Amino acid sequence: MTDAPSLEVDHLTKRFGDFTAVDDVSFAIHPGEIFGFLGPNGAGKSTTIRTLLDLIRPTSGACRVLGMDSRRDAVEIHRRIGFLPADLALWNNLTGRQTLQYLANLRGGVDWKWVDQLSERIGADLDRKVGEYSSGNRQKIGILQAFMHRPEVLILDEPITGLDPLVQLEFHSLLRETADAGGTVFLSSHTISEVERVADRVGFIRRGHLIAVERMSELHDKALRRITLEFAAPVPAAAFEGLEGVHEATVEGATVTAQYEGSMAPLLAVATQHDVLSVASASVDLDEIFLEFYRDEVQAAEK
Amino acid sequence: MLRSVYLKTLRDRWLGAAIGVVALFLVAWMGIAAFAGMGDDAEDFIAAMPEAYLSIVGISAEGGVVGMMLGNMFNFMGPFVIAGIGVSMAAAAIAGEEAEGTMNVLGSLPRSRTRLLTSKGLAAVTVVVGAAVLASLSYGLAAVISGETLAGINLTAATVHLVAVALFYAAVALALAAWTGLRALASSVTVGLIVLSFLASGMLPLLDGGEAWAKASPWYWLNGPQPMLNGVDWAPVVVLLGAVVALALVAWWGLNRRDLGAGGARTPLLDRLRTDPRVGKAVSMLVGSGSTRGIATKAVTDARPLMLIGGAFVAFQAVVVGVLFTAIGGDIGSLVDSMPDAILAMIGFVDMSTPEGFYSGEVLSIVAPLVVIAAAVSAGAALAGEERRRSVAVLLALPVSRTSVAARKGVAVAVVPVVVGLCVAAGFAIGNAVGGLGMAWSGIAASGLMVAGLGWFFGALAFAIGAATGRAQWATAGTAGLAVLAWGVNAFLPVNPDYAEWARLSPVHWYASENPLEAGVLWGGLGLLAALAAVLVAAGVVAYGRRDLR
Ligand SMILES: Nc1ncnc2c1ncn2[C@@H]1O[C@H](COP(=O)(O)OP(=O)(O)O)[C@@H](O)[C@H]1O
Ligand SMILES: [Mg+2]
Repeated sequence: MTDAPSLEVDHLTKRFGDFTAVDDVSFAIHPGEIFGFLGPNGAGKSTTIRTLLDLIRPTSGACRVLGMDSRRDAVEIHRRIGFLPADLALWNNLTGRQTLQYLANLRGGVDWKWVDQLSERIGADLDRKVGEYSSGNRQKIGILQAFMHRPEVLILDEPITGLDPLVQLEFHSLLRETADAGGTVFLSSHTISEVERVADRVGFIRRGHLIAVERMSELHDKALRRITLEFAAPVPAAAFEGLEGVHEATVEGATVTAQYEGSMAPLLAVATQHDVLSVASASVDLDEIFLEFYRDEVQAAEK
Repeated sequence: MLRSVYLKTLRDRWLGAAIGVVALFLVAWMGIAAFAGMGDDAEDFIAAMPEAYLSIVGISAEGGVVGMMLGNMFNFMGPFVIAGIGVSMAAAAIAGEEAEGTMNVLGSLPRSRTRLLTSKGLAAVTVVVGAAVLASLSYGLAAVISGETLAGINLTAATVHLVAVALFYAAVALALAAWTGLRALASSVTVGLIVLSFLASGMLPLLDGGEAWAKASPWYWLNGPQPMLNGVDWAPVVVLLGAVVALALVAWWGLNRRDLGAGGARTPLLDRLRTDPRVGKAVSMLVGSGSTRGIATKAVTDARPLMLIGGAFVAFQAVVVGVLFTAIGGDIGSLVDSMPDAILAMIGFVDMSTPEGFYSGEVLSIVAPLVVIAAAVSAGAALAGEERRRSVAVLLALPVSRTSVAARKGVAVAVVPVVVGLCVAAGFAIGNAVGGLGMAWSGIAASGLMVAGLGWFFGALAFAIGAATGRAQWATAGTAGLAVLAWGVNAFLPVNPDYAEWARLSPVHWYASENPLEAGVLWGGLGLLAALAAVLVAAGVVAYGRRDLR
């Protein structure tokens, strides 16, 4: 963590007319890190990313990539990063290979052995026109063009859109390898599971506000779980309230639902005093965790 | 410059440009052959004409029939086609990639916006210069295979002037698109400017002292200094090229200071205009999200911008023409009478000394067809456009049959030309009233109807091509090429009585065989146009139902 950050967003604000899409967002990502950028649709993820790429310009604040200013040094930054846009569009009249050749020419050449290797790994089909691809195959071309020049920083906007689970797995191990080799991965997503699977840290953005940035491992320690207990006869809710680790308990007839963190033991101890018919437990969505832990911040952002 | 971007742009564009050049060649060849077939008559005809008029239209007596025809190619058809190609390329330079969403990938490469713009701009210059040079060479070929000589005609100088003017318009489009990121806005505003400056350079000299004003129109410099006779007039050429450089700098400035668009859905400027309380209402009226009531109403409202702006433009021109005729009235007859056939052919040999003839020559023969065809073709190509935008999947997931979707889209092809026709008739009516010209109201209504008929045919043609192939570009470019050809066939074959009958092959002939302001509705021609349009739309609907969608 002593390294200089490879990607830095510094009090970034972006307005479109009167509408503020990104509001005073700051965070930093370091080499070797996979950073998940999590938020519902319209949260401002793509807006932040497009600013990093100098496709759009900050209303105020700044972005730095590899220590360079996103506006002033855009070209040099682009040389050293790979980008996969959301809603990828390519040239329908080119084949997959022509697309990569075109972009490689514009980059001044790439290592084709590496590209072929990559393309084999994710099972890309390069010989047909992009216009004829399924969206998953088009996305594979998008991934290849982002990785083909071995960039130091990868900026990926909802990259697994359209990919099948096996390819997703391969793609995620690719991300891990990149990070282990000292690269930096900035990954935006609206699906919890993806971020949970690969990210070291996660930033949660909502309505343009960065609500929290957490280490994944710490988040798991905090992780809430939900338990549903079915009893033979109704049980008073009061019995479960105030127990160690229990955040919330609701009673519906003979069914009790409770959210808890840490050990399940105190909860079970109380439950077994009654006639338990069944126990079901599930992890709570990361989204809910955020909502639970950062209720105040979220409420402030909603205003 | 970025070689790959440059080459890819050329690769994407050469075919369109080639179609344009071939169409120009065919028109030139037909025209020269038609005049040449008249033998000595044509020469005598030219020789008998007053020197002053020859010089007005840039024709030398030595130039003979070839010179007459080439005057048209360089001063009228050629610049429209070649500037049109340049404008379409320049408007799409960056804004096109933005609309397609591919700018996201291009913009993430380690190449500056400036270099992207330069590469695209140079590709446009290459295509404009290449098309102009090839077209000029093909005119030479047309003359040679018709057994005529090019003596006394400076093709090179005429080409230089044409290129300078075409590049000027392209640079305007480049600057507009670079600032706004809106391809459609840039190209339609520039085409409007082209038509406006074309009219200004043609109509202003008719007024006393108007010649000086006409010089403000870039179009004037195609023929004003008569390069075909006198060689290159470097002063205006240098000024035009200087303006090109200045506009390119403006484009560079604009592109580097704004946000780039991420795809069709996001058009920052338009959104900004729409939310502006002062112009918002007008903007959403014109561009609107379109009606969502049904497929057919949406198709019609989608065609609104071109239909209303174009229609308003013709109507406005019609009113001006009325006022102009009142102003110059009697003088015009003698002036026009002695114009060479090639010029008169373009406007259908009308008698410009009557208001009916003047209207026919100034509005019905060129501008109204141009506008109605453009609006109808864009409505016709819209079905294929859904495939390009991939919105077709959603549309066809509706509980509506495919043929029915196509048929409802076809409704716009029927409606849009009628609206343009109404605009034409309304403009004529106002001009008639304001100028007190006393034209028959029935003739005015007939003119509107004939204009609509012409639009039906070409709109249906674009619809059929688009429906059968799923390629909006083929529909637009193909129909435009055929329209140029049809117009040329009708304008120039009748010059020679031996070939005159062949003009019947052109749909434009059925529209223009007589002046509807005098003769009323040409029921035969209108019926034929409407019937063919119906057949084409029906064929398109059937084809659309049968093929795989793209
Ligand atoms: N060019 C634009 N003009 C106006 N509003 C925009 C523009 N780009 C994004 N927005 C708005 O900003 C918000 C954030 O969008 P975005 O960053 O794309 O969200 P996401 O987190 O889903 O990627 C959305 O409400 C979107 O409508
Ligand atoms: Mg997004």
